[in-house]
Amino acid sequence: MFRVPFLVAIALAIAFGGGIWSTRLALDATIGFGAIKLGSWEAFPEAQTADADPYAKSHRANAGKLLYATAEGLSFTATTDDSGARLSGSCTYQLTGQTPTARFWTLFATGPDGRPPAADANLPSSLNSRMVGRQPDGSLDITIASRARPGNWLASPQQGQFRLTLTLLDTPAAGSSGLIDLSMPAIRRIGCGNV
Amino acid sequence: MSRLFNFLSLRRDFLWLKILFAIFTGLVGAALLHLIIVFSLPQFSQRDAYTRIIAEGESHRFYRLGEQPDRAGLSKEDPMMEMSVCSFDISETPVRLTAPNIGVPFWSLGVFDASSDEIFSINDRTSADHVLDVVVGTPAQLAALRKSLPRGFSQTVLVEAQQTEGYAVLRSFVTHKSVVPVISKFLEQATCAPFQWRTRVQF
Repeated sequence: MFRVPFLVAIALAIAFGGGIWSTRLALDATIGFGAIKLGSWEAFPEAQTADADPYAKSHRANAGKLLYATAEGLSFTATTDDSGARLSGSCTYQLTGQTPTARFWTLFATGPDGRPPAADANLPSSLNSRMVGRQPDGSLDITIASRARPGNWLASPQQGQFRLTLTLLDTPAAGSSGLIDLSMPAIRRIGCGNV
Repeated sequence: MSRLFNFLSLRRDFLWLKILFAIFTGLVGAALLHLIIVFSLPQFSQRDAYTRIIAEGESHRFYRLGEQPDRAGLSKEDPMMEMSVCSFDISETPVRLTAPNIGVPFWSLGVFDASSDEIFSINDRTSADHVLDVVVGTPAQLAALRKSLPRGFSQTVLVEAQQTEGYAVLRSFVTHKSVVPVISKFLEQATCAPFQWRTRVQF
C-alpha cells in the first residue's frame, strides 16, 4: 500500500542527499579545472577571470577569497611533498630549486585551521625573497621544520598536516599559463621525528 | 502451488525493479541538482567577495584588512601582504582610484566586477612613475571623458567596465617590518572616490 510513497521517498532522498553532498565535496576538494601543476605545487591562473569554469566560479563565490589579479601575482599551494605524502608538522622538509621569474615571492605554511600565520609571530613562519640567503647559483635551499634549523628556516606548525603557499608577485607566469617553461622548487622530506 | 510461487517471485522481481528504478531516478536527480547548484551558486551566494566588501561599510572608500577576520569575514590572506578593499558603483559617475608614489617596495591593484571577475589589474612597474591613477567607468562615461579630458589626466589609466558595480583590491608587499609605516601611509592615502569631472569642466 505504501509502496509508491516509499519509492518516491527513496528517489527524493538520493536526489537531494546525493546532489548536495556531491556539490559540497566538489567545491571543497578543488578550486576548479585549469590548474597549473608543477611537482606538488598547484596554481589557478584563471580562477579570478570571466573565463573561469563554472566550478571555479562557484568555488570562489562560496569561499569569498580575494584572489590575485593577473598583474598582481599568482599563488601556488602544495599539500604534499614530491613523493606524494601529505606535509606533516612532525616531519622536516627541504625546499630546493628555482622559482619561476617573479619580482618578489612570499612563502608561508598554513596550519590545519587554514589561517595564515601572524606577521609578527615569534618564529619565522613566513619568508620572502628579500629575506632568504641564496646558494652560489642563485637557487633556494630552505628547511621547513617545526624546530629551529641553521640556514634558511621556515617554521611549520608543531603537529598536524599543513599546506605551503608560495605567492609570486608580478610574474609572467600569471599571464601566459603553459607557454613558458616553469619550474617550481622541489619539496623533499628529510625525516620525521627528532631528526 | 508452484504457480503461486512463480507469481510471488514475479511480484518480488517487479518490486526490485521498481526500487532500482527509484534509485536510478534519484541519481539522475542528484546529478541535475549538482549542476543546478554549481551553476547558480555565484548568483545567490551571500559569502562571495563582493557581498563581503559591501558589508565592510559605505562604498567609495578603502577599508584596511587585518589579520583576524572582521565582521564582514575578510582578512589578509598572506602575512606579508597588506591590503585594502573598496567597493564602488559607477552607474552615475566613474570612480577614480589614486595613491601617491611614496616609495613602497611593491603595490598592485586588482579591479573586479560584482561577480568577482577581473576587469583590470596594474602594479607599480606597469604604472606611470609608480603612481596609482586609474579611472573606472562605463564605456559611455569614458567616451565623454575622453572628449574633454581635463588637464593633468594624461597619465591616468581609463578602464572600461561593463557592469556598474564592483570592487578594487589594493595590495602592498611588506618586505621587512621597517617598511610597515610607509605602507600604512600609502594605504591610508589611497582614495577610491567618485570622479566628478563634468562640474570642473563647466567652470
